[in-house]
Amino acid sequence: MVEFKDVSVTYSSGVDALNGINLKIKDGDFAFVVGSSGAGKSTLIKLILKEIDATEGTVLVNGFNLSKLRRGKVPALRRTIGVVFQDFRLIPTMTVYENVAFVLRVIDAPAKYIRSRVPYVISLVGLEDKAKSYPTELSGGEQQRVALARALVNDPKLIIADEPTGNIDPALSYEIVDLLRSINECGTTVLMVTHEHDLVRYFGGRIININKGEIAFDEVIGGTNRNESK
Amino acid sequence: MKASSARYLVGQGMKSIWRNRMMSFASFCIILVSLLMVGMSVLVTINLNRIISGIEDQSEAAVTIKDDIGEDRRKALEKHISAISNVATVEFYSKDEAWKNMKEDMSDEQQDLFRYADDNPLPDTFRVTVKDISMMGDTAVQIELLEDVDSVKSPTQFADVLVSIKNILMIIMTCVIAALIVVCLIIISNTTRASVFARRKEINIMKYVGATNTFIRIPFFIEGMVVGIFAAGAALLLTKFAYEGVYNIFKNDMSLWSILGVDNLYPFSKMFMKVTVAYLASGAVIGALGTSISASKHLKV
Repeated sequence: MVEFKDVSVTYSSGVDALNGINLKIKDGDFAFVVGSSGAGKSTLIKLILKEIDATEGTVLVNGFNLSKLRRGKVPALRRTIGVVFQDFRLIPTMTVYENVAFVLRVIDAPAKYIRSRVPYVISLVGLEDKAKSYPTELSGGEQQRVALARALVNDPKLIIADEPTGNIDPALSYEIVDLLRSINECGTTVLMVTHEHDLVRYFGGRIININKGEIAFDEVIGGTNRNESK
Repeated sequence: MKASSARYLVGQGMKSIWRNRMMSFASFCIILVSLLMVGMSVLVTINLNRIISGIEDQSEAAVTIKDDIGEDRRKALEKHISAISNVATVEFYSKDEAWKNMKEDMSDEQQDLFRYADDNPLPDTFRVTVKDISMMGDTAVQIELLEDVDSVKSPTQFADVLVSIKNILMIIMTCVIAALIVVCLIIISNTTRASVFARRKEINIMKYVGATNTFIRIPFFIEGMVVGIFAAGAALLLTKFAYEGVYNIFKNDMSLWSILGVDNLYPFSKMFMKVTVAYLASGAVIGALGTSISASKHLKV
């Protein structure tokens, strides 16, 4: 669960990025976060990952109160979150298998579990035959699927997808959101930041629109037909 | 931490050396050159110190004994001189021996001049070496005050010059070594920082998936340590060849030998263990700390 209570963020430059935001995303929710550049979407994600601290208010993520969380406990928080970035952020010197397995090694998982879990998750994103490939040998869509597998492998409570379709072919964007949807159906909370309004209209669901650091709109809308959108 | 995780981290450190081979090679070269510069300077300093100490050991005072004091009084005097705290050795040099040696050193023409001389004009002497050459003047005065001593000739001026040379040399070499260490640390720190900077994205990703700082640092630590140890090994070999080359020049060239005395230079075999330990420890510590400290700068994500 993610909860923001009267959260404000003012950067040292004096810019107010978020102004008294109140937001609650329950376990198992799927929500799109939309808004123009500089609206505060990235600040929202940075707060959830405890990359920055709120100037005012309280942020609760997966049972952690981030205002009171010590630096040394940040890895424990991040292990409950899977993150998918626009630029994939795969380690170029590791194969697909190693990139995904890395997350489990970080949490000191048993070698036997790693050997069984990693191929399973790679197969979930349809990349069984690419397990030994390096990220540079893959297309944008494939790299993003590896990033998804990496986010999934630790069975996190929450997946944050920050513009996951920004760097890939528009046709493949639907596949990525489909994958996120199916992950959500298994019980994982998904928060997807995007500025692709077509995609949001097509899938529908909960839409959180941030504008000038405030929540301008937070409602559930119905999705259009897939064939019509394409 | 599980054994499998420890194996993984060590393995990652070793793999990183090959994956980032250009930066690893740069670090290797910088650590190698730094160790060579500092190591050679230290070895030169140690040997210069030894050479000067050797010359000091050879410088002695000549104590002239009064004529015809008899053997008992001479032995008593020898005892008194030996009892002086700064005296290292006392050797009796008889007038007959001195006369014989002096004639041997003369040319035939010079010897002709003394052929018809009835008496040996030289006195009995003691040759006295001291422990601390800077105290030579005081020791000479102490000996001069003893009964049956006629006069003392000591190279006090030479001793003062030697002490001054030694002190100045030590100050210069200490400054040179200290400056070299500072310069080397700056260069090494910049090289490792560049090496880590190239992988800051990798560190960033590790942080996002929940890796602890220790987990991220260990492979960097291992990588730096291994590169440092390899650089130390190479530095050791190069030092050995260079040192033995110079040592053999001194050993084979008699004129240089007579000036410095090859006995006063340490053969490399005598210092091998100390140099090996110093190089390996320095290489490992510089490499490991340099890389892991540089990595720490990118951990604040």
